[in-house]
Amino acid sequence: MALSSFFQSQRAVFSASILLRAVFLLYGLWQDANSPMKYTDIDYYVFTDAARFISVGQSPYARDTYRYTPLLAWLIYPTVWPGQFWFSFGKILFAVGDVAAGWMMFRILKEYRNMGDESALKFASIWLLNPMVATISTRGSSEGLLGVFVTALLWAVLAKRNAVAGFLLGFAVHFKIYPFIYAASIVWWLEDSRVGQKKAGKLQSSTSLLDQIVAFLSPQRITLAIYSLVTFLGLNVVMYKMYGYPFLDHSYFYHLIRIDHRHNFSPYNTLLYLNSSPKPTGLDSTSSSFELERLAFLPQLLLSAVFIPLVLARKDLPSTMLAQTFAFVAFNKVCTSQYFLWYMMFLPYYLPDSTLLRSPSIGITALLAWVLGQVAWLQQGFQLEFNGYSTFVPGLWASGILFFLVNVGILAVIISDTKAKTDASSRIVKKIS
Amino acid sequence: MKQRITYVVKNPEAFTPEQLVVKDDGTKFTLQRVHAAKEHRITLGLDELPRELSRVFQQWHEFHIRWASSTAYTATPPFTSRVSPGLHIFFTPLKSTPEDALCSQLHDLLSTDLKCSSNASAIKLPVLSERFSMSASSQYFDYLESPVKVIDDFQQKFCKVENEVCGNLTKQLLTAAYVDIDYDTISRAVVLTAAWPDAQGNEGWSEDIELPKKDSTVEIGVLSHEPNSDPEDVQFGGFLTVLGQDSAPKPARFQTPTRHYPLIQSSSSTTATPKLHPLTYTTSFSQPTGLHPTLILSLPKEHLAPPNPSCKLHTHLTLPSYLFIDKYQFNDALFLQSKNLKRLRSIAGATDLEAPDWVINQWGSAALFELAHPPPSTEQKDTASASWNVSIPLHLRYLPASPSSHARVPVPWPVVFWACRADEGAKMAANPFDRVHLGYEALFGPRTRFMHVEPSGQGNGTRQLVEWIDVPVLDTTKTGWVEAGTVGTVLVAFLGLCWVLFGKVGGGQKVVEKGKKKQ
Repeated sequence: MALSSFFQSQRAVFSASILLRAVFLLYGLWQDANSPMKYTDIDYYVFTDAARFISVGQSPYARDTYRYTPLLAWLIYPTVWPGQFWFSFGKILFAVGDVAAGWMMFRILKEYRNMGDESALKFASIWLLNPMVATISTRGSSEGLLGVFVTALLWAVLAKRNAVAGFLLGFAVHFKIYPFIYAASIVWWLEDSRVGQKKAGKLQSSTSLLDQIVAFLSPQRITLAIYSLVTFLGLNVVMYKMYGYPFLDHSYFYHLIRIDHRHNFSPYNTLLYLNSSPKPTGLDSTSSSFELERLAFLPQLLLSAVFIPLVLARKDLPSTMLAQTFAFVAFNKVCTSQYFLWYMMFLPYYLPDSTLLRSPSIGITALLAWVLGQVAWLQQGFQLEFNGYSTFVPGLWASGILFFLVNVGILAVIISDTKAKTDASSRIVKKIS
Repeated sequence: MKQRITYVVKNPEAFTPEQLVVKDDGTKFTLQRVHAAKEHRITLGLDELPRELSRVFQQWHEFHIRWASSTAYTATPPFTSRVSPGLHIFFTPLKSTPEDALCSQLHDLLSTDLKCSSNASAIKLPVLSERFSMSASSQYFDYLESPVKVIDDFQQKFCKVENEVCGNLTKQLLTAAYVDIDYDTISRAVVLTAAWPDAQGNEGWSEDIELPKKDSTVEIGVLSHEPNSDPEDVQFGGFLTVLGQDSAPKPARFQTPTRHYPLIQSSSSTTATPKLHPLTYTTSFSQPTGLHPTLILSLPKEHLAPPNPSCKLHTHLTLPSYLFIDKYQFNDALFLQSKNLKRLRSIAGATDLEAPDWVINQWGSAALFELAHPPPSTEQKDTASASWNVSIPLHLRYLPASPSSHARVPVPWPVVFWACRADEGAKMAANPFDRVHLGYEALFGPRTRFMHVEPSGQGNGTRQLVEWIDVPVLDTTKTGWVEAGTVGTVLVAFLGLCWVLFGKVGGGQKVVEKGKKKQ
């Protein structure tokens, strides 16, 4: 009873989400001050060190392992001001971003999913009251900040604010590269309305290729393309002017050429370690490697940036973005638990109508398999990292593959759920509202 | 050629001058059963060297080799300075030095497996003290356990059959505790210095030393360490003999300021031979080492008082490239305190936090830490209570996949010393036993005395000053199906998802119907 009335109150849910983060933040301050084991994420020291370099007129890339846009260091510039409060400014910013993202989720659910307050609050709470999300942002990891940009992007697209959407898309790609996959689904989704309007007057079969191209180059799309490109290129030019080659090197090239040999959740991990390590000279074995792992980007990008948007985008944009992100993360050459946040921010839109919720057996099995897959991998990783057992094969490899298969299974459910929706169903819902 | 041979007697009470005899018109010196530490120093002009060798040295502005044995020994003053076991090379190239000079020399000399691709495989030494301009610019290191191969090769190549000095000396080098070779363009001389903590066996040194050629100089000192009231000076007394000049050992006594001041027990006696301080350290790793080994230095608390208020305890680590230090860990006061560290004073070399070992070109890194020591009050409380442990968290790089589950790698013990203020800094170089280019002096001001803490004579249990750690690696005997398995799984998953995307999947029907009902 108390729980149901809790979810009827916006104020209660948002207060709880703020309180949750405040408690975590304060606890973190206490732990940092009293224990040599720090609550604060290592990356946060990287960001704040980078901000400090900026404050003395140096490049943020003077800090080792700073692999982000200088904007991030600028965003948390106040952390260089003296005192524990200002040092925590970045974490507060990330936590505020979390809550803001949650608020936008709530609005999107109400406006574009036609939900009542209570349901919308419940599903937004997957993000708002998720301890994992709150922990990540209050420890000072920037992944949560991306939640704001991407959710704002989704909202802008749904609200037909194409210029804003273009700006946010360009910004998000500048910030973290991977959101470029959303360009495909947004572009595909946008077309729907334009052709829909035309369909009324014209016979669909008589359209020539040229007509199709002209129809494809709708004003919304051109707006989106121009704004996103100008934002993306503009930011890059400015950053390049300010920080030169190290900016390109650390924010972009590094991510393209990194070997990712250290153990992580990716199914490719063991293979990458094996094939990147030098072969003993003279003992060259006959089984020459074809370096198939170099083609790893193919299934990843085909699925996340081409196939999924093509088939699903017009049916349901938020769920398509979930499927895209899920595919991108599952098929990526490197995968750590922070990446899970990337798709978690789309769950509130997908879950309400999903098989995972409607069929508790499937849902619980999926959740258990997802958790157990990680536990198995983490256990093997612990044996390697702290006990020094050589668990690379079969332990880590097998649990990585297993976790990958679990993800692929869940992705299949998401895809088939989204595919089963009628075209542009979300838009019909919107018109009613 | 100039030779200087010094014996520092371990127990002066058991020594009598009768053990020394000068014969054959002063051209032969004999000593009988003398228990002593020995240092043999040979100075050669470049023109006295075989041309091949002389050319090797002339490629450099300065070139200093420091090789230290991994076998534990007890030092005798003034030979108390130490470097981590292994082969250290400190050098400054000339503008004309070829890029591969270091590596091609090392590959010829030691082994082609050596991790060396160009002069840049060496690390740039930081100079915290600008005025210490005499130090070399770069350091190379390899954990060379035994110089047998080098010495054998050298002997075969350069020692002529009739040259006994060459043959004998190279044989003796095999048992040396450390060997230094120094060259610089200003002196244009090569100086080889080798030191032995004692004679092999229990009999002491019984040696005949002859003048090899008429124009060469051989100076022999048999000395003992004596107390001196000046806190910065060491004093030695004994006998000096110059072969060919002296018909009998001449008594001698001298005192000198010293850079490496022996850490000795305080004593009020003005005559008794100073005794080494009982403070020693041991190095170990907390088990299991995993991928983040923690190096632990243990020192007995009871002896851990600074010998002088200006003294600070330090450790200097020489870390091969498979180990690295994350300098950012050492910014937090609580963290440092929990490890009994004061601060990371300096770190140089391969400090990349992410790269696997096979992409690191440099040999590794060198780090200097200032260590905390227990406050004097706890010292008196419970003297029996054990040791003061200092932990230094290290990280392992990934090593290449190999046909075994683990790769065994050596970690030489670091050196530990008190660094103290010295007012007579400038005069230290006048000490005939001065030893520099050890990798850490330039991190301190010129007015610094180093009082070395002795590593435990037990070493790692087998009297070796080296720890071995097993690094888990990808076992290639088990990876036969990794490539096919990974690629196959990804391919099947990809095709399966394509089928779900493009195929006519049954289960979706119900969802559609329900969706329609809602609308």
